[in-house]
Amino acid sequence: MSGAGFRSRSSAAVSLLVPLALVAIVTLVGASGTPSFQGTVTLILCNLIVVLGLQVFVGNSGVYSFGQLGFATAGAYITALLTLPPAFALLQTPGLPPLIADAQLGPLLATLIAAAIAGLLAVVVGLPLMRTSTLAIPISTFAFLVVVYNVAANWDRVTGGSSGLVSIPTTTSVESAGLWAAAAVVLAIAFKWSASGYRLQATREDEVAARSIGIGVMRERLIAFGISGVLCGIGGALAVHQSGVLNPTTFYFGATVTTLTMLVVGGARSVLGAVVGAIAIATVNEMLRGLENGADLFGAVSVGPAPGLAAIGLGLILLATMIAMPHGLSGGREAGELPWIRRLGLPATALPPGTSGVVAGRTTGDPVEKGVLRAEGITLAFSGLRVLRDLDLELAPGEALGLIGPNGAGKTTLVNVLSGFQAPDSGAVTLDGVDVTGRTPTRLARDGLGRTFQASLPFPHLTALESVAVGAMGIGVGRRRAATVAADVLSRLNLLGQAALPAGSLTPAGQRLLGVARALATHPRYLLLDEPAAGLNEVECGELVQILRDVIEDFGCGILLIEHEMSIVMELCPRIQVLDDGATLCEGTPEEVQADPAVVEAYLGSAFLAAADA
Amino acid sequence: MGMMNFAHGEFIMLAAYALYVFAGLPFPAAVASALLTGIAIALLAERVAFRPVRSADLSTQLVTSLAVAAILQNVVMVAVDARGQSVATPASLSESTTIGGISVPNLEFVTLGLTAIVLAGLGWLLYRTRTGLAMRAAAENFDMARLLGVRADRVIAISFAISGALAAAVGVLIVMQTGQVTPTMGLTPVLIGFVAVVIGGFGRMFGAVIGGLLLGALSSLLGAYLPDGLAPFRDAIVFTFPVLILIFRPHGLLGGEIGKARV
Repeated sequence: MSGAGFRSRSSAAVSLLVPLALVAIVTLVGASGTPSFQGTVTLILCNLIVVLGLQVFVGNSGVYSFGQLGFATAGAYITALLTLPPAFALLQTPGLPPLIADAQLGPLLATLIAAAIAGLLAVVVGLPLMRTSTLAIPISTFAFLVVVYNVAANWDRVTGGSSGLVSIPTTTSVESAGLWAAAAVVLAIAFKWSASGYRLQATREDEVAARSIGIGVMRERLIAFGISGVLCGIGGALAVHQSGVLNPTTFYFGATVTTLTMLVVGGARSVLGAVVGAIAIATVNEMLRGLENGADLFGAVSVGPAPGLAAIGLGLILLATMIAMPHGLSGGREAGELPWIRRLGLPATALPPGTSGVVAGRTTGDPVEKGVLRAEGITLAFSGLRVLRDLDLELAPGEALGLIGPNGAGKTTLVNVLSGFQAPDSGAVTLDGVDVTGRTPTRLARDGLGRTFQASLPFPHLTALESVAVGAMGIGVGRRRAATVAADVLSRLNLLGQAALPAGSLTPAGQRLLGVARALATHPRYLLLDEPAAGLNEVECGELVQILRDVIEDFGCGILLIEHEMSIVMELCPRIQVLDDGATLCEGTPEEVQADPAVVEAYLGSAFLAAADA
Repeated sequence: MGMMNFAHGEFIMLAAYALYVFAGLPFPAAVASALLTGIAIALLAERVAFRPVRSADLSTQLVTSLAVAAILQNVVMVAVDARGQSVATPASLSESTTIGGISVPNLEFVTLGLTAIVLAGLGWLLYRTRTGLAMRAAAENFDMARLLGVRADRVIAISFAISGALAAAVGVLIVMQTGQVTPTMGLTPVLIGFVAVVIGGFGRMFGAVIGGLLLGALSSLLGAYLPDGLAPFRDAIVFTFPVLILIFRPHGLLGGEIGKARV
């Protein structure tokens, strides 16, 4: 890998090879067993593919879906109908169009078709569902699962109804299931490490921050939902070619709980977790099933047959994991990121020594400097409370404007309006003369408007380098170039030493700077900083002033600085606008503002002035 | 409380099973035992499963409730049977009363009356009492409510107890209507409830009521007017309906705040 990389070549190789090795071991162990053991292992591998499908969506988006097994059902029925010998098809599914009934495709072709249709179905279903909130998606996907079940159970003439289909060709062997599972592992890791995968992970870490760097939450979720549908479809199709029978409950509520348990117990955020969880839970499940049929424990305790025991066991494991180990066995890490693997001496990232020499921003003299960000007559009320009253503001590239005022003056709300997080009741925001009022934060970020947040809003489980790079990916920069841009920005902000650390482990000051770096990586022409110095000590404040000065010079962007630390504002901003009670109190140079009695009154209150006069 | 509970369906189911187990008792006593079972199981689940994950994100709580649901469902399967059991219902409920020439089953009156009482009671509790205020405060901002002296553990336990009692009421009504209990009987009502909430918008009691009425009306209309060939797909169509609403109103008809990201 040339230039900057998110992980060293050895770390990436370990992350990929360990789950592949686990799949290979399971396959080889399975292949050496009795035919019935081979069948069991084959089904476990099919389950693993479904769990990987879950991981692609749930793990990367942090949004639970209870409907992915619906795509497994779809894939299973499609491949079953395509491969059923015509004689059987005539008997079981008299309502099938002759074209499909007479078709008897090879299992590979049928599986591929099933995967494609399952993926297509996922995109069609996902289009409306991904628009809803993080909390509504689990429920509406669950409703989808019920819909699929109902169709499968009642469309008797095509699906065989609740009694299902039999005599489906059993062509899936342990070896072929193992190969498919290995391919699924590679696909899941490739997606996670792709630009789209990183953007989706950013929405999982913090949806608001993700939108502020140009990430379209719905779009990224939909892409993963589609890929997940494909993998689940493959898993379902392969499984049905192992067992030879299929009915509507094969991939219904029970299978949903089982596969979710596998994902959660292993650790949803990582592909390694999906693989480890699937294997571990399958093993436990088989042992519990043995108990269900009645067994003697150590010859002492005799347990009678108790169907349902395995499901209780799985439920208890899931419950215990959620309470005691919410990140799962893998801790949400890939193999190359595990602490004890790290200790072997693998370099974490492939960072270039020092700066890469790539200038992330625009150089001075860029024609872009001619534009202006302007807010005119912005008025906003929250259920009757007037927060902004007829506010005007103007910011040019290369300029630093201080925005100060007492708490509750409306500074942050104004930034929210400018960056599209809050629509004004009246008034307009224009960007270089174009009216952008009502544009989404995502769109505005791509238009060149960057911002930070009072609460930093880091992406805790991404490394510092990834957190910043995802800013560049948000506006459409490719993965490799984004890494280079991120390394460059980090080095300018003296954060390169922490590039490989998870963003959540940085100090509050470090996270605040990281927020600035993340916004800078989106190539903003206008950068809105909401109290970047809060929580910083004196030395760090001094560094911040120097950094921001360099940013204006190197990147040529205009900075709007909200800050309570007056020394920073006075030092950095030649022009200051003072807000009070939602309106502009005054505007001018630091000296003019400091001398204005109205400003002193707003900050300290008239009583204080009266007391000082007396 | 800003959380969705998959296990609510199993609270319904267990209360219904109490009715089955205590079928030998006089009917009012059996109903009382179902009520107590609903409350007890809800409190137990809160203490054992939900309290430990209270500070976790909503997804974690949702999956936790799924685990509780799976456990309870399968415990009943092991302890009783995976198949349904029939429960005798009082004869007076299965008779009908004729009003203005229309014969209405007595059970419908009980259902209607109970629903009205529950809605009124819940509205009164939430919006007219100190406990209700504390519950809404805890739902709005748990930590802040706690800092202000709201006894959070108690408030949450109370809200679970109430939901357990409501679940029991639903369980009893279902048994009265169908005359039987099955381990999976809680799935459909809880899904209808969830979907109603999604349609109505999170955190709005009124929204959930509207969503529920819409679903019910749609289900009845489809039952009456769907051509024979499509009749088996009624449930599929009913559950597709929320998707159509979500296309136009991604945050529900009333658009609640819970679930929306805050800046």
